Amino acid sequence: MNIANRQTYRRTTNFSGTKIYCLASAAISVTIVCTILVTLLVQSGPVLFTENAGLIGTKWNPSDGQFGILPMLFGSIFVMLIAVTIAFPLGLMAAVYIAETRSSKLRRALKSVLEILAGIPSIVYGLIGVAYLNIWIADLFDLQSGRIILTAGILLGIMILPTFLTLTEDAISAVPVKFRENAKSLGLYRHEVFFSIILPKAKSGIAGAGLLALGRALGETMAVMLVIGSLDRLPSPLFNPLSSGQTITSKLGREVTESAFGSPHFSALVFMGLLLVLITILLTIVSRLMFKQEDRHV
Amino acid sequence: MSSEKAPFSTVFLMSKNISIALLSAVLAACSAPEAISVSGSSTVLPAVSKAADQYSSRTGISVIVNAGGSGGGFNQLAEGQTDIGMMSRDITAGELEKFKAISFKETAIGKDAVVPSISSEIYDAGVETLTLSQIADIYAGRVDNWAEFGGPDRAIFAIDKEASRGTRQIFMGVVMGDPKAEAPGADLVTGSNNEEQTALTQSDSAIGMLSYAWLNEDVRGLSITLDDGRIVEPTLDTIRSGEFPFVRNLNVVTRQDTKPSAEDFITFLLGPEGQKMVEESGYIRASN
Repeated sequence: MNIANRQTYRRTTNFSGTKIYCLASAAISVTIVCTILVTLLVQSGPVLFTENAGLIGTKWNPSDGQFGILPMLFGSIFVMLIAVTIAFPLGLMAAVYIAETRSSKLRRALKSVLEILAGIPSIVYGLIGVAYLNIWIADLFDLQSGRIILTAGILLGIMILPTFLTLTEDAISAVPVKFRENAKSLGLYRHEVFFSIILPKAKSGIAGAGLLALGRALGETMAVMLVIGSLDRLPSPLFNPLSSGQTITSKLGREVTESAFGSPHFSALVFMGLLLVLITILLTIVSRLMFKQEDRHV
Repeated sequence: MSSEKAPFSTVFLMSKNISIALLSAVLAACSAPEAISVSGSSTVLPAVSKAADQYSSRTGISVIVNAGGSGGGFNQLAEGQTDIGMMSRDITAGELEKFKAISFKETAIGKDAVVPSISSEIYDAGVETLTLSQIADIYAGRVDNWAEFGGPDRAIFAIDKEASRGTRQIFMGVVMGDPKAEAPGADLVTGSNNEEQTALTQSDSAIGMLSYAWLNEDVRGLSITLDDGRIVEPTLDTIRSGEFPFVRNLNVVTRQDTKPSAEDFITFLLGPEGQKMVEESGYIRASN
């Protein structure tokens, strides 16, 4: 009786302790996200209320009070697009190859190598970019300098490839074997099994992988900063990847220590940070909506 | 039972006390008040970090030296994130305005020159000297080929620096007449001397700006042709005499409430050993 009582007592306390711990963890995570968003908003204030700050312009000159963010915004998106154009097709095809045609032993070996690649610090990629990639690209296109948007995009593409590949491969491998077996028993060809059975099933997983990779591409600072040329100008012509540029992150990396806390300069930098966060949130929402709709059709 | 328990708990309590004592001793050692942090100009850094090594081995006080540019060094000092700021230029009126409540003290620990620097390929092809207005033409985007200055028929690759860098402000102040001048002719923006030197070395048609101490065989310093036709080479002599147009002071900056150990380190920098390190880094000793 006594023992039984104690046991139930213990169980309930353990349970509520765990519950409180989980609740607290969740609350802390939510608080951190909210704090970051609020801080970004509040600190963006000074520049938003500064007259003639030229925020939606192309001229960045803090000493003149000009904070045109367009070159950085454009640079971020352009670099991201190049990286994605390189990484997504390569990653998808490699993932299909590993998941569908190789033995599981080889698959595990390849995956562990890929996961090491994904864990290499970005500054290492940056140094390789400065030491080799930028020179190769300068030679290839006969340019005076390889510190250009294209170099940053290629480097970023290489950096996000392992993340995208390994997650995509997970998504494809996670499709249950019975689907494949049923499809095969119906007499479908291998490519038919893949395109009409496995791909639709793995789609949301692949999209998640793509989103994570996009997030990394948008947020990457060090490697991009070292190879992009850091010129606060829109390329001319606009979609010329062979000109130097600037991304939001490389701009922040270069200037955030130089600006005084609370000044319009600092505030303009924070505002760009806020934009970056908003773009990421937007991407998440869009992909969620997209897949909600598709789920309904299935 | 209880007689056994008592000594156990005493031992436990004692060991707990000891471990608390140990822990606090360890923490006290970690938060040793004697660490001096120095941050700022990558031009001043080599001299200060060499002197810091000597100072640390002599006094046991650790000195942590970080790069980040003159503007960054000043801001960190003003915001209390570092004890000493390194600046390769003077504090501007705008910077003083931003932190009116604080009084700053600049101490020159040496002298240096900013040298317009070009890739060795261009130097060897015959471009050894330019006038200030010719350099201004390059950065303003009016001239974009070395052939105009007697060099090879090759586009000029103009390297600019981040706006807050001391080196850039001295350079633009002399060449364009305004330390904050924009440079529409620039093709690339770099940060530290290190980064700029790499970019200059990797190109075969570049012009940039470097501290005197960062010149080498791959990155050559341009002589300046003055208005009266005289040519001034960048040498220690012309920098010492002030004849070379881009001479500047290398400063360390403190605030009125800087701790005594930081003041002591600055005294060391100005002393014979500190000044020797300034010279070993390729700069000129402070005149006082």
